[in-house]
Amino acid sequence: MSSPVRPLRKVLVANRGEIAVRILRTCRVLGIPTVAVYSEADRGARHVREADQAVEIGPAEPAQSYLSITALIDAARRTSADSVHPGYGFLSQNGDFADAVSAAGLVFVGPPGDVHRRMGDKRAARRLMASAGVPVLPGYDGADQQDATLRAEAARIGFPLMLKPTRGGGGKGMRVVTGEGELADALASARREALSAFGDDALLLERYVSRPRHVEVQVLADAHGRVIQLGERECSVQRRHQKVVEEAPSPALDATQREALHAAALGAARAVGYINAGTVEFLLAPDGRFHFLEMNTRLQVEHPVTEAVTGLDLVRLQLEVAAGRPLALAQHDVVRVGHALECRLYAEDPQRDDLPSPGRVLHLREPEGPGVRVDSGLCQGAEVSVHYDPLLSKIVTWGHDRDEAVARMIEALRRTVVLGVATNLPRLRAIVGHPAFARGELHTGFIEQHLAELTPQSCPPPLAIAALAMALARTSRDARGPERERRPDAWERVGAWRLGDAPAEER
Amino acid sequence: MRLRCGDQLYEPRLGAHPERDGVVLGEQTLKVSVEPLGDGVFLVRHDGRAQALHLARERDHVHLFWDGVVYTLSEEREGSPHAQRPDAAALEAPMPGQVSAVKTAPGRRVRKGEELLVVEAMKMENALRAPRDGTVRAVRVAVGEMVTPGRPLVELEP
Repeated sequence: MSSPVRPLRKVLVANRGEIAVRILRTCRVLGIPTVAVYSEADRGARHVREADQAVEIGPAEPAQSYLSITALIDAARRTSADSVHPGYGFLSQNGDFADAVSAAGLVFVGPPGDVHRRMGDKRAARRLMASAGVPVLPGYDGADQQDATLRAEAARIGFPLMLKPTRGGGGKGMRVVTGEGELADALASARREALSAFGDDALLLERYVSRPRHVEVQVLADAHGRVIQLGERECSVQRRHQKVVEEAPSPALDATQREALHAAALGAARAVGYINAGTVEFLLAPDGRFHFLEMNTRLQVEHPVTEAVTGLDLVRLQLEVAAGRPLALAQHDVVRVGHALECRLYAEDPQRDDLPSPGRVLHLREPEGPGVRVDSGLCQGAEVSVHYDPLLSKIVTWGHDRDEAVARMIEALRRTVVLGVATNLPRLRAIVGHPAFARGELHTGFIEQHLAELTPQSCPPPLAIAALAMALARTSRDARGPERERRPDAWERVGAWRLGDAPAEER
Repeated sequence: MRLRCGDQLYEPRLGAHPERDGVVLGEQTLKVSVEPLGDGVFLVRHDGRAQALHLARERDHVHLFWDGVVYTLSEEREGSPHAQRPDAAALEAPMPGQVSAVKTAPGRRVRKGEELLVVEAMKMENALRAPRDGTVRAVRVAVGEMVTPGRPLVELEP
């Protein structure tokens, strides 16, 4: 397949938060004008300020704004954008959105709709991978969903096994079944949850792998038949199916395993006719064997660790592929140097069982320095809304080796300050400072296994209380004193100020 | 000055010249000096060392960053009654969100830890559990409602 080159003249970023900011950055570097979209809740958000133009597309509820295909295409028309970058989440893997964008005469920065659909159906994707010789776990991916069939298949696969909804993701509706006695109940509850979350109760059965590692391979394909891989990432440190710390390369692989993994990923991408940037995810069992998990047909949250070790800009490559250009890189041009880590800063409170913690960012300091990159959607005064994903920013460090990347991460996290919104920062520090993490002994249950050590209890030491008391006393004294002695302290300036509003009256 | 961190209450006392006399905290007297650097940051000197304290205030909460860690304290006014403790008779919303399921009803006996409600916030479903054994007196929310922190959602009687 070959298509003419069509340079992109204006990109609409159909997303919000850190990923919108990150995509806008590459567009600016390339000199491509940008359009941001925002909901009512995001009027003063950072991505809105950093775009050349911004269009309000609806109320805070994602269904009526960031998930509204009509509103997004209308915004692109009104601003004469000729292309749409979907980011991750929201509509990024929605085949209907990709098709609607193309049907409107716009370029979708990602694979075509039918590729999304082929990989979005877990049973179909599994069958396709198996037929292409990509290793899959023993399992059942058939259309016959009768109880008797599933019982027989479960017995054949053996216990423990996993039930997975064939649609959807994020861990919803997934069940581990440890024995035949639990099967009936587990089937009923997994079907119920799948039906309510994804509108389809079909299930996939797969053998359960205990203490697996999550490794994934970044692939890149142009519209002219070239497919390359940019190496693997390991994302084993997770909590409730949500990735927390990622790195590249994986500390678990030897050269032979790595080569086999990369070859499997290339085979997967070719089998599905992939175009643009995508990720093939695998489970790596403790015995060193790996199996296909799923393919993400979009840019991943953790793409910066791949960028850090390859020196490539994945968003730039995505835009070039979308414009119809052949990849300028051959496989041997991809050289990986050093090691990179990413920590995801979430608005979640580890001291309250990772409860989401919306609120206003009263005070912010983000780290910087050699080998440190921060992809952030934050700014001081930003409102962290209850309507959206709790991911606030990503702190990425690079080092000549893993130890250096870890040391830089520990220091970068020490220098990160977010006040006003509880974050998982203490958890991140505890993870990267943990001896098992330093040894690279990772698996998807890492956080649960070490939970007590990763949940620091915190009340301040006496010296901090004394300093705080002095600071508070000083502030109230200054506040009573003559105007010229007053200091512009953070809370006075922030006060009742809301993003997009005029500063509040001095109190 | 009364500052609360969980169950711990701090009552630092400052004399007329705290820079000279120090801050009294329980049995200790700590000599510190603080210099405002602006933007909520203070340079703290103690025992020949200096480090930064970051500070932000929000209603009766004080957020501070000290030695790489963020803490949140609540400020209790002198002479005011004790800070309101969680109401033992009610299950309150711990954070803002939308009620996505109600799993109990008035008159129902519940055990400590039993899931009573599900509140969805930031794309995550959060189970709210009974804080103790009891009988449900009233359910004060319905599916689809937005709730704010501290709002009583389910009333329990012993």
